[in-house]
Amino acid sequence: MRTLYVEGRSVLHRMPPRAKLLGLATASIVLFATRSIPLLGMFCVASAAVYLLPRLAPREAFERLRPVLLTIVVVGLFTLLFDSAIEAAVFVLRLTSLMLLAAAVTATTGISAFMEEITRLAMPLERIGLVRAADIGLAVGLVIRFVPEVLARTQAIRDAHHARGLKPRMLTLAVPMIILTLGSADEIAAAIDARGLRGQN
Amino acid sequence: MDGIRLDIRFERAEARYAGRTVLQPLDLALSERRIGVIGLNGSGKTTFARMINGLVTPAAGRVTVNGFDTATETESARRQTGFIFQNPQNQIILPILREDIALGLQARKLAKPDVRAAVDAVLSRFGIGHLADRRSHELSGGELQLAALASVMVTEPAILIMDEPTNQLDLKNRRLVVETMQGLNETVIAISHDLELIAGFDRLLLFHEGRLAADGAPAEVIRHYRDIASA
Repeated sequence: MRTLYVEGRSVLHRMPPRAKLLGLATASIVLFATRSIPLLGMFCVASAAVYLLPRLAPREAFERLRPVLLTIVVVGLFTLLFDSAIEAAVFVLRLTSLMLLAAAVTATTGISAFMEEITRLAMPLERIGLVRAADIGLAVGLVIRFVPEVLARTQAIRDAHHARGLKPRMLTLAVPMIILTLGSADEIAAAIDARGLRGQN
Repeated sequence: MDGIRLDIRFERAEARYAGRTVLQPLDLALSERRIGVIGLNGSGKTTFARMINGLVTPAAGRVTVNGFDTATETESARRQTGFIFQNPQNQIILPILREDIALGLQARKLAKPDVRAAVDAVLSRFGIGHLADRRSHELSGGELQLAALASVMVTEPAILIMDEPTNQLDLKNRRLVVETMQGLNETVIAISHDLELIAGFDRLLLFHEGRLAADGAPAEVIRHYRDIASA
């Protein structure tokens, strides 16, 4: 099981998870409160600097963001085609900044610290009987845990294509990846039940 | 653990999946310390084991573990049984071993110092204290099995179910897992194709085409299995 967490002692590593999550939430509100391209540009550069704080190798830093970056570029191009260059620039700068900040938070916060914090934040909802806070924490932890798994699985399927002399295509990559992921999700759900990790009072 | 009474009962318990019967109605009582489960692929042995833990609930009949019905008293029944899955990677939820082992105790809302003490104790019990802060993808197959074992045994179940514990292990890792398993005081139910592993068990169950085809002493049941496999 690979992880998005990067070992380190940067300022971000030392910050409590709650401060990082609140900072991320505040940044997302600020980003959507402005349409000034120079301001958004500066925000984007600052976010990139924050993302590089954990001292990731340049290649890994880029590889981690590639799938999301690709989505942002595609949607940005559509906005450019069907709306205006300004709208496209605003969209790309906003989402790129958010992506960089969110990636910085996941790179400097261990899954267990995340789960603990989310569980604590969900406690008010548990007190009014809406949810079990620990289940929410576990669910968020599993999402973070699954991201590198899905990426690794996609790479393995891509390698299998190359080994057989086949050209990877979207459909032939996506179908086995979804089937394998669902199979492993079933097994993990069974393990969670077997270990009594949820639904306890 | 010798003083703990073990009583697993299947009473006309039947399992269905997608409208198909995968385990025919079964009557069975288990109380031995080492029980092996064998059979060809798709014979129903994993379904049988999952029914003991309540992961599969009977479509008809009932299964009880030390008196707890796995369908209606699932949580209590599960506290009696630990389950090690075929692929330990899917069983380990958190990347750092120490954090993962702690999860089961945190779910029971134990205080942090108690959790830490129990995690240290189980790591030391299985001789993997040095792996406590390692990431699971850095561990060997045998170390992963021991990690999965520790994550389950930390909650002190009386019964341990292991699905193919030596599957895909090299000889060195297999020996590590087998020796650890032999040293367990708890009741062990092992599903395995590794006949050498289960040859010394107290009792073997052979499943074939969703039915219990043989039940008894290992030598006799393994002979029966070989007949089925060569047919």
